[in-house]
Amino acid sequence: MAEATTQLKADDHLLLDQPLLRLPLELQRRTFKQSQIKIDHEQKKTTELLRNAAKTANSASPDDTIKSLDAIIQRMENLKRDLETLNEEEQSLHEQSAKRIRHLQELYEIPSLTDVKYENWARTRLDRLIVDYLLRAGYSDTAAALAESKNIQDLIDLDTFKQCHKIADSVRGGSTTEALRWVARNKDSLKKLLEKTASDKNAVVPAVTPKVSQLEFELRFQEYIEILRRHRTQDTARFEAIMHVQKHLAPHAGAFPDQYRVTAGLLAADPSDPSECYREYFSPARWTYLSDLFVDTHHQIFNLPIRPLLHVALSAGLSALKTPACHSSLNPSSAATDGHEHAKPMFAPTSSSNHIGNSLCPICSTELNELAKNVPYAHHTKSSVEEDPLMLPNGRVYGRERLEELERKNMRISGTSRDTDDERGKDDKRGRTIKDPVTGDKYPWERLKKVYIT
Amino acid sequence: MEAVEREHEKIWASSRKTGTIDATQNIIDQLRRARESIQNDPASAQVTLAKLQAPVKASFDDMTGSLKTTRGGQNNYQKALDKLFRDKPLPSSEIDALTQHSNLINRAVYLHLLREGLFDVASRLQDEASQRADQQRDRQQANGLDVSTEHPLGLDQGLPEDMLHKFQVMHHILDELRSHHNLQPAMDWAEMNSEELQARGSNLGFELCRLQYARLLLDGRHDGVLSMDSIMHALQYAQAAFRPFQRQYSHEIYELMGAVAYFSNLDESPYHARLNTTSAWNDVALSFTREFCALLELSADSPLYIAATAGAIALPPILKVQAIMKTKRAEWTSQGELQVETPLPPTYQYHSIFVCPVSKEQSTDQNPPMMMPCGHVVCQDSLTRLSKGSKFKCPYCPTESSPAQATRIIL
Repeated sequence: MAEATTQLKADDHLLLDQPLLRLPLELQRRTFKQSQIKIDHEQKKTTELLRNAAKTANSASPDDTIKSLDAIIQRMENLKRDLETLNEEEQSLHEQSAKRIRHLQELYEIPSLTDVKYENWARTRLDRLIVDYLLRAGYSDTAAALAESKNIQDLIDLDTFKQCHKIADSVRGGSTTEALRWVARNKDSLKKLLEKTASDKNAVVPAVTPKVSQLEFELRFQEYIEILRRHRTQDTARFEAIMHVQKHLAPHAGAFPDQYRVTAGLLAADPSDPSECYREYFSPARWTYLSDLFVDTHHQIFNLPIRPLLHVALSAGLSALKTPACHSSLNPSSAATDGHEHAKPMFAPTSSSNHIGNSLCPICSTELNELAKNVPYAHHTKSSVEEDPLMLPNGRVYGRERLEELERKNMRISGTSRDTDDERGKDDKRGRTIKDPVTGDKYPWERLKKVYIT
Repeated sequence: MEAVEREHEKIWASSRKTGTIDATQNIIDQLRRARESIQNDPASAQVTLAKLQAPVKASFDDMTGSLKTTRGGQNNYQKALDKLFRDKPLPSSEIDALTQHSNLINRAVYLHLLREGLFDVASRLQDEASQRADQQRDRQQANGLDVSTEHPLGLDQGLPEDMLHKFQVMHHILDELRSHHNLQPAMDWAEMNSEELQARGSNLGFELCRLQYARLLLDGRHDGVLSMDSIMHALQYAQAAFRPFQRQYSHEIYELMGAVAYFSNLDESPYHARLNTTSAWNDVALSFTREFCALLELSADSPLYIAATAGAIALPPILKVQAIMKTKRAEWTSQGELQVETPLPPTYQYHSIFVCPVSKEQSTDQNPPMMMPCGHVVCQDSLTRLSKGSKFKCPYCPTESSPAQATRIIL
């Protein structure tokens, strides 16, 4: 066993919690941006209107002047109302952030991993991770119900994921409209993302830095394919398709050379029976690809991890807990899920398996056994076995204390008096038998051998 | 973390000040005043409007200033977040071996919800997962693609039958225990499964009887003095209930009966701790859960909880190694063994671990631990290498033996 640890390093522990604070900030920036755009626009417009009103005040009738002033007042009142709505949104985001910060702060106040407070905190974290997983899988009703029953609505991002799924579903259903609308709404964030990728040394940068996101290009490309599919016999459609290429695809030919190159070939292909090299472009599977691409892009601009954090936590946790014994053919509990039911009677009467404690290993338990088959097991540099190990004639090894405890219990059940044994001295095992806790086989104590684990 | 909290409080406070809204109101007020004076004196229109330009611009400048402050605050908050999460990249998808097994994860989540007693949420998950799976299937069918036949919750795979019903029973019994202090359902269950419980060496049955006895005894307590009625009642109960346990727990029963002698000042008696029921309800609920799950061949605590928590603890070293592997452009293998130790608290160890002292490898079914006649243990592969088929000396003591004398042990 790796050196056991009970120390809680809160800073290290936050690995899974980054999106909790990042997302609300990202949303705050959005409301900020909207206020800014509105104010900029109104400033320009109002200044202009006011200047015009002043200029014409002499020549215009007083009624007209008043009217133009009223128009400006109306505009400003609309602005105020918009700003108030945005501020309300902002306030609720701040309140949510404050609650999330407090939740993470709690972790800093917990002294150790064995503290009961840590257990409570970790259970809430699991609830959060499950809700995140459910939301990403598109099970938003379940997610909302779980969040409600655990009272963690402030720690989850129901609306963000719901909107994301709505658009992703529309794409999967064969429509580019909503996704393109989303692209237009998030122009700035998408541009920032492109800049970030371009400056990232580790990323594979194309020869020409793209000016539009891959998502946008692919959506436009799909529109092109759909035009071709819609009217494959009409020359007007061909014209429409060429116009579409010129408007939306040609400007980005340098950044997406491979795809741009096939546009001409596609024009000549028959969508209902395309040749091998064009088949993939007319395949309905492209909608699934586009939908996935949308979700990836969406998560990127919101600073959300691409995969559910539950996966990350689980694959690390399954590995850290997993031992070669968990899927061993000699392990009675995992044998049950192995599919060969006949393996079970071998171990009857199972009283407890080859587990150290009283509880079954979570990896051996039905819930995770199958899943854990796909991850590596934990790395250990030291043996870790029960104290004072003894080998039974069948090769199974147990700690002395466990065997003695079991013997005591069995004696109670069978009614053998303990007093007579005590008189003989504790270490005198003559004539006494022990029972293998896993297989139930019985052996005399004399046949046990001491094992030295170094 | 304090810096994050501080910066957030700052932006929150400034957002509460609503600078831009106030400035807008300011402009509205100025416009209204101007309107009024023009109405009163149409001749002053040009002057009034000319005078209006500067203050309106000033108010717009206030708005811009307020926006700048907000942006500055957001940037500072972002910086505080960056600092808090520095060197903590979002875990990449490279260590995600689980994506292809969403039905197994669904299953783990479903069973976790059952375990937690959240039956409504669980059934909603079942509905939504089937619904989405149906949609996907229809779409795939319509598109002429391969159709997945996997159960969306993985409930077709090696799952004990009727898990839902079993957990409902468990939660009913737990609820009666915890909320109503009613022991009867638990006792009935223990009675029904007494053989299996005995084979496990469980003493749940006795624990339940003991708690019931204590409850009856303490029921009519007044000012620390036990009532005679309760004593009679408790003793009557004890006579029948403790009979099956007489041989196994004679000492404990003796003590429990002895407590009656202290009916007037039980709190000061040596038996006080034995009859303390405050934590007993919780203890009994826990051991009931453990036994109930064990009979279903399930671990006592939710495996999903244990694994996710172990994951959070083990993640830092795993990510560190992952980062190193990336810079070295070495491959991250998802097979075999982790490359780094992932220390966990001792309660997270469930199996014995044998690391061969010669090869430093963990024993597996293919490379099992072998005990030499002297009692020292090495792995099969090391044994083969050490002996080369003939007699050899144990690496830890002077004893010589032949490989045939070594026996396979099961830890």
